[in-house]
Amino acid sequence: MIDNIPKNVLEVNSISKDFLNVKAVNNISFNVEQGDIFAFLGPNGAGKTTTLRILLDIIKADSGKIQWNLNGKSNQLPEASHIGYLPEERGLYLDIPILKSLIYLASIRGMDKKDAKKSALEWLEKIDLADRANEKLQVLSKGNQQKIQFVASILHQPTFLILDEPFSGLDPLNQEIFIDFIKEINNQGTTILLSAHQMPLVEKIAKKVFLINNGMELYNGSLSSIYQTFGKKHIIELQFESDVNEFTLRNLSGIESVNIIDDFRVKLTFEQLTDMKSVLNQLVKVEGISDITSYKPDLHEIFLQLIKNA
Amino acid sequence: MNYWKKVITVTHWEFSRFFKPKNEAIGIVIMLIVSSVFYFGGKFALSDSDKKFEISVIENIDSGLIESMKDEYFIKRIPEQQKTKFIEKIKKEKFGILLASEGESFNLFAYKNSREIEKIKNSLNEYHAQREMQRIGLSPDELSAILSPAQVVESFLYSNESKSRIVLAWLFACLMILAVFVSFAYQFTAITGEKQLKITEQIVSAISPQIWMDGKIFGISLTGISSMLTYSILSILGGMLYFQFTGTPISSIIDYLYLPSILLYLPFALAGILTWNAILAAIASIITDPNNSGKSALMILPVLFVIASFLVTRDPDSGLTLFLSWFPLTSASSMPMRWAITEVSYWQVGGSFLILVLTFYFLRKLAAKIFRVSILITGKEPSFSEVYKLSKQH
Repeated sequence: MIDNIPKNVLEVNSISKDFLNVKAVNNISFNVEQGDIFAFLGPNGAGKTTTLRILLDIIKADSGKIQWNLNGKSNQLPEASHIGYLPEERGLYLDIPILKSLIYLASIRGMDKKDAKKSALEWLEKIDLADRANEKLQVLSKGNQQKIQFVASILHQPTFLILDEPFSGLDPLNQEIFIDFIKEINNQGTTILLSAHQMPLVEKIAKKVFLINNGMELYNGSLSSIYQTFGKKHIIELQFESDVNEFTLRNLSGIESVNIIDDFRVKLTFEQLTDMKSVLNQLVKVEGISDITSYKPDLHEIFLQLIKNA
Repeated sequence: MNYWKKVITVTHWEFSRFFKPKNEAIGIVIMLIVSSVFYFGGKFALSDSDKKFEISVIENIDSGLIESMKDEYFIKRIPEQQKTKFIEKIKKEKFGILLASEGESFNLFAYKNSREIEKIKNSLNEYHAQREMQRIGLSPDELSAILSPAQVVESFLYSNESKSRIVLAWLFACLMILAVFVSFAYQFTAITGEKQLKITEQIVSAISPQIWMDGKIFGISLTGISSMLTYSILSILGGMLYFQFTGTPISSIIDYLYLPSILLYLPFALAGILTWNAILAAIASIITDPNNSGKSALMILPVLFVIASFLVTRDPDSGLTLFLSWFPLTSASSMPMRWAITEVSYWQVGGSFLILVLTFYFLRKLAAKIFRVSILITGKEPSFSEVYKLSKQH
């Protein structure tokens, strides 16, 4: 029974970090439970990478406390063998054979060289690069180099995997492949903390989200609860045959915001609990509408709303 | 995974990255080819220096002079009236030598100065000396006695037991300088290269900057030491060949491989190489782009080694050499050199070595600290003051 109770494998309490006069991380706290896919979301420069570097002791926090509880050990700093890390700044040895680099990177994380070789070959097979194992990294395409970088972070079978912007620089096809890899690793028991700014991709895999902006917490909780809390608003997108009549739209009942997409399209956001039947009755009287689409706000929209309200 | 296991993993990686036996062999072959080209080319270029060449002399010149020169030169006599015409010809054709005399002095005409002119001047000097000896009635033996040096019997209280100690000290100093310069290039490439390839963050998330730095220092020092060993073996083989050609038995090389000296020089050499590698690693850690960094000039610092070695041999007991033999950046070559050529007590040798080892210990810590803080400064190369400020914070 006890085993079924989720336990925090990472507890972050009130960490802060200043760089000269800039507050990069401002008093943030969060917990990551075993088996989570925990998404750290925010725009560029929000403080995501700084937080991840603090977690890995690459830089020190000015204040706050971090507690890791991995593989039955509680530490302020995790053992390298338990952690996998894909840094935002990608880089590997370009002039060295791929297999040799992968074995080295796994071995400095404590993996036996024989096991590392076996695991590397398996992963290279999985990403269709097995036949290029002895080639130098520099001959691979950028996308394939990204895949090798990803393999380097998970080869030693970490308990906890940190992925900093795993989707950046990938084409849509490779983004989907990476999403499948992340799901697969998570299903095998690895807890994942990922930072990203591509919210539609994160929505596909994350169980919990932490929204951060200007180093401060905007939201911390499960993905389902963020929709329950902030996703009750109604969004309607209208297509017009001629120019949008903005004035009429701004006077609709319950309207919160009017966003002009282009000359013929507009997005209307209505306050929670707005009577949509009444709204539709009003819209019937607006001339020139050729199409109406209604949907609930996605993570991206919730995030923008939270920034606006902050 | 303990500290040493990780350091050994990084050391092995760095060593295998940079020590390429094939490249080393190619380097040696190129070196041998270049040396041979210089040796045989030089010999060929100088081979005609003893050749007999033609000198034109004005007819009225002393017949005794012509007699003394005829074995070494082809002499061609020219009438006095043709002197001006002949000088014009030399100018036009840029060739030919004309010797004339005017009273006691000689006149030499040539298009430009050359080795031939120097040879003729030596012949004229000899002739002049003989003529003067005859004039004052001096015999050749009497002249030799006048020119011979004073006889001095030298008695030193400290005698250098074996000149082999000096030869070996020089050999070790040269090999050490070689190892430092070889490591130097690799250390630079290894650290700045990894920074430019953005590998550092991946590495320091797995191992501490200290382990990373220690592995680099040991691995690249080992690369330098491997080159040092290769060239040691080559030197010994070269020495054996030298003994063979000079008729000395090959076993004479044993005299030079004096064990007590080796036992003293080797630890100094190893500690010196490690210390210099730690310095180079610290400097390389601050440099982001070696092509555009003013700090790259600091990398010529190991030249100190070479200068120190030369200064010691000039005066091994001066205050300056005493300082150099204790100062950790120069002691690795200076103290063994002093030990080889003058009297140095054992406590001095031990003390100097201890300071060298302690310097290495602290320099590697400093190098790791500089590396740790310099990777936090992104987008530009950190200044010394920024590194200092950040190192106080971390």
